[in-house]
Amino acid sequence: MKDLLPGYAAGSLPEADRQRVHAHLPGCPRCRAELATWQALAVPDTAPPPDPAALVRAVLTRSALAPQATSPPRRLRHLAGLMIAEARLIRIAVPIASALVMALGVALGLAQATAGADLVLALVAPIVAAAGIAGTYRFGHDPAGEVVAATPTSGRLLLLVRIALVFGYDLVLALTASVILAAAGAVGAASLLTLVTAWLGPMALLSSVSLLIAVRFGPDIALGAAVTMWAVRVLIGGVLVRDGWAARLVVDAWTTNAPVLTISAALTIAAFVVAGREPPDGRHATHRM
Amino acid sequence: MEPGGDEALLRSVAAGDAVALSRLYERHARGLFGYLHRLAGDRMTAEEILQDTMLAVWRSAGAFEGRAKATTWLFGVARRQAHNRLRGRSAPEPAVPDLAERPDQGAGPEELAIAAAGGTPVAAAIDRLPEHHRDVIALVFVAGLPLADVAEVLAIPVGTVKSRLHHARAAVAAALTAQEVPE
Repeated sequence: MKDLLPGYAAGSLPEADRQRVHAHLPGCPRCRAELATWQALAVPDTAPPPDPAALVRAVLTRSALAPQATSPPRRLRHLAGLMIAEARLIRIAVPIASALVMALGVALGLAQATAGADLVLALVAPIVAAAGIAGTYRFGHDPAGEVVAATPTSGRLLLLVRIALVFGYDLVLALTASVILAAAGAVGAASLLTLVTAWLGPMALLSSVSLLIAVRFGPDIALGAAVTMWAVRVLIGGVLVRDGWAARLVVDAWTTNAPVLTISAALTIAAFVVAGREPPDGRHATHRM
Repeated sequence: MEPGGDEALLRSVAAGDAVALSRLYERHARGLFGYLHRLAGDRMTAEEILQDTMLAVWRSAGAFEGRAKATTWLFGVARRQAHNRLRGRSAPEPAVPDLAERPDQGAGPEELAIAAAGGTPVAAAIDRLPEHHRDVIALVFVAGLPLADVAEVLAIPVGTVKSRLHHARAAVAAALTAQEVPE
């Protein structure tokens, strides 16, 4: 019975219990005394609650204006959103040109106009990828530069997303070209693996060099450097065949093997380190987060 | 789940029905606001927390799974919002360290404390209780929740709710006795 007294004083008892207490009280002075102390505690709050219409309006306004901070950011969805947003920023000419050049390479390989398919792909794929990469980092005149500077997303992450998009696209292009050439049984395309080996290492190395230069000196210089380096490689390997240590060194440097891939990875990391620094002209719209 | 019940209203709120939110609020406005008013101590803060609460309800009604009663869920949300907003604030300092030990000195700080707490000596004594005791008092007597629901909101056993109630009653009774003795 004593357990029911607080609820009785608060008025929150179920009807049956309430009637039990009600019937018990007249014959029990102790319970009456205890009830009095509970009733002293039960000071009602007399302040009227805010008007429903005004409150709901305020809540809906806040819901529309304030970002939802309660739920943790969903990383995968966030990344997918970044991918889509960055994909829109890549000029449409870049993927189209890449695809056209690669198609030309496939056509040459199929027609056996110049050399073996492996050689053609090895010459075309790296410079296509490197040219694409060179155009990805343009903080000076990036169409989204001001927005990027004001976003809480780090420039490094944005760069990574862009590189992944462009390099991934070129990788798919080169792979497709290889599959087509291998399936068509073009000269020099002994197997898919030989074809891929012919271009993968050079593509990774030239792209990473291009990225590092783009981050440090800008896209135009990067593109120029990539074209020059690749021209040297093509002239030495294909046209001006000269025996000698220098020629061998150059050809060795542009093959698919572990050291070349490692160096490419190291150069890419270096590029991200450089990109993370303050841009030279200090163009940050807001304080760094 | 009856059609017009709190659970049904919460489902509608989860589906984005602002009218349901308004009805849910109207149904619990007095209890929720009274509870928050008691916790916060002033009307302005209580209104802010009430808004936080209804915003949280509006956004996370979909997370209500129907395992708890809608009322306890609602008060649980309110309690969490109050905790979030009041956490940074220092607890309302009692003007007098221990009421029972002090003789009455006329218009001393005690009267000021009582006046600040809404005028009644009981309210002042309640304000001096530790926070987890005030929480129980507010849920039982201001919000008018059954003890079982209070236990669910606070995630403590019903026995603990009862012992806190008795402690609070004893403290208030002691405060009132000390108040009356000198006069």
